Amino acid sequence: MGTIIVGLILVLIVSLIIRSMVKDKKSGKSIQCGGSCSHCAGHCSAPCDTPSNRD
Amino acid sequence: MSVKIALAGNPNCGKTTLFNALTGSNQFVGNWPGVTVEKKEGKLKGHKDVVIMDLPGIYSLSPYTLEEVVARNYLIGERPDAIINIVDGTNIERNLYLSTQIMELGIPVIMAINMMDLLEKSGEKIDIAKLGKDLGCEVVEISALKGTGIKKAAEKAVALAQSKKSAEVVHSFDKKVEDAIDAVKVMLGSQVPEEQKRFFAIKLLERDDKIVEQLNTVPDVSNEIKALEDAFDDDTESIITNERYVYISSVVADSCKKNGAKKLTTSDKIDRIVTNRWLALPIFAVVMFIVYYVSVSTVGDWATTWANDGVFGDGWHLFGIKSLFIPSVPSIVEGALNAVGCADWLSGLILDGIVAGVGAVLGFVPQMLVLFIFLAFLESCGYMARVAFIMDRIFRKFGLSGKSFIPMLIGTGCGVPGVMASRTIENDRDRKMTIMTTTFIPCGAKLPIIALIAGALFNGAWWVAPSAYFVGIAAIICSGIILKKTKMFAGEPAPFVMELPAYHMPTVSNVLRSMWERAWSFIKKAGTIILLSTIILWFLMNFGWVDGNFGMLEAEQLNDSILATIGNVIAPIFAPLGWGDWKMAVAAVTGLIAKENVVGTFGILFGFAEVAEDGSEFWGQLANSLPAVAAYSFLVFNLLCAPCFAAMGAIKREMNNIKWFFFAIGYQCLLAYVVGLCIYQVGTLITAGTFGIGTVVAFVLIIGFIYLLFRPYKESNTLNVNVKSVAKAK
Repeated sequence: MGTIIVGLILVLIVSLIIRSMVKDKKSGKSIQCGGSCSHCAGHCSAPCDTPSNRD
Repeated sequence: MSVKIALAGNPNCGKTTLFNALTGSNQFVGNWPGVTVEKKEGKLKGHKDVVIMDLPGIYSLSPYTLEEVVARNYLIGERPDAIINIVDGTNIERNLYLSTQIMELGIPVIMAINMMDLLEKSGEKIDIAKLGKDLGCEVVEISALKGTGIKKAAEKAVALAQSKKSAEVVHSFDKKVEDAIDAVKVMLGSQVPEEQKRFFAIKLLERDDKIVEQLNTVPDVSNEIKALEDAFDDDTESIITNERYVYISSVVADSCKKNGAKKLTTSDKIDRIVTNRWLALPIFAVVMFIVYYVSVSTVGDWATTWANDGVFGDGWHLFGIKSLFIPSVPSIVEGALNAVGCADWLSGLILDGIVAGVGAVLGFVPQMLVLFIFLAFLESCGYMARVAFIMDRIFRKFGLSGKSFIPMLIGTGCGVPGVMASRTIENDRDRKMTIMTTTFIPCGAKLPIIALIAGALFNGAWWVAPSAYFVGIAAIICSGIILKKTKMFAGEPAPFVMELPAYHMPTVSNVLRSMWERAWSFIKKAGTIILLSTIILWFLMNFGWVDGNFGMLEAEQLNDSILATIGNVIAPIFAPLGWGDWKMAVAAVTGLIAKENVVGTFGILFGFAEVAEDGSEFWGQLANSLPAVAAYSFLVFNLLCAPCFAAMGAIKREMNNIKWFFFAIGYQCLLAYVVGLCIYQVGTLITAGTFGIGTVVAFVLIIGFIYLLFRPYKESNTLNVNVKSVAKAK
């Protein structure tokens, strides 16, 4: 019984993590750098400038 | 309906500090120009219907830089209800240039003179009433840093926005210029609102390409331009710039009282030492040495020892009081799992996988906090802006510009924004080279690897952590020299002009906020991507084939696991670098997901959860598995090789070309491999007298490296252009 409960809790945690990562990805946040783009010093929304456009 | 108020002003005049104070936001604030490159939005505290927009710092509304384009497009296209024009009181002449352009936009403007406290200290005075009258707008005094006057400024801006009373242009230029402007205004007809006509007319006279794109029918103003240029014997842009400064000079003479005897300010006195031709570099080296030494080997080490041995190890005594014993996280989790009768395999997954892996990473949080405090202080006080200036002198000799140091500066926190910051470099070759080299600077995520190697393998030796930073700098400089001698990157480095802001003591809240922002990213990553990685690693480590049967393995069958099978395929590649063990190879590869994963993988593979008994088991096991020279080779390889997937994604985006992306990643991996190999082979020759084929290869590589560094490079005199492909591209 204990194994099932702990297993379910673990599955729930993992699901929530994946959900939050998918949500972050959809809202344009970086998953791997872990930061919120709005707080990032180097943040700039991509369409405003691509290197090839500038050259 | 909501009211939109934009904050506009020169770089580093305090817009983001004011934005944070007005909205209660926590945007990144740095004491160097160009911190904000994109507009940010927030709601005014206590006014849910008032939106404050923080625009990038700009010197003018000319479309020369990305920041200027972003700010101008917003002001012209989206037209806020009011603008708070923040003016640095200590640099009023230069700041008023933008103000004169903002006044012409036909949007209600209120001017906020910032840094009045600094102005008063220098003995200078501004007559606010006179200035307001001369400029045709209301002027208020503020100190964004101390929060004085900001509420009043915001309330006045809201009232102005609601009144919809646009700024009245009171300045006028020479009669000939005004006549030309009036003539163009007539030509614009009804396609431009009356209040914006002056701005559009001036921009047309200045031959502004971007403004032409915003008009349906572009009037022919060539006659007006020619007449003006003939009359003034100059181009129209210069004529209008000159007219603005003539007007600004009259305003300043009327409303500002300058301090007659120009004395050296405290900032000037400090700069005489820290930017001195001979002292600048040694001072920078000492500063960075102290930062890394204190973060990793002293204060940070004590705190991390407590976290590793106490919180995630054997438990700890609160305030050192013996009766107040707090059990460790693994023992609490273990107790809970035993109490509910959890199966051994699931307990193993949680304790030996998740707790061991995530715990190993989180154990380094204290060291990171100390490092982030130092970096936040250096950024906020204004020293890092000087470092860019100092580095320009050195980088220039090696073909890079000081502009390249800004991305590297940002990269000490995280490589992703560091790589993205390279887009401020206009020169394509310099930008590509900066993208390739920015991640050589150790980012925050690499600190746990540095701390682990320094602590576990070098017994906390003082030189290991600072050397990691200097290895990064050396890799950048050497790459600059080598790459600049190739046709792809040859050419003069771009000029670097940067305003050095005045030094100021950062506020505690600003430093702590900056530290927490970075630390939170790290903690969040540990709780998401690292946690998922540890689960996958645990499964790969605990399942495998024994005697042809697939199943869960016993502890002593680790070498039969899926992870070991994969690791054994990769490990021979790293054997010449001294760490051909599959565990080390797997750790290096998992670092590609996130660099902290290297430490998390060690935690799982070397049994971090079993550290509890004496607090040194984990370190001891790791130390026994490889000699010090191999450990340093492992450290350097992980510092220089391809960064994490997030940073690689940023490199791909910024390069905007798949070939260049692979070239950048390939170069980083190759350099890391060569340097790691040379360190191990030459190191073992010196320490153990071992000589073999690896040593010969290392010496050949060193000779080749020296040749690439010192070979003469001559610019080609012949122009090789593929006419067909150029014509096709056109």
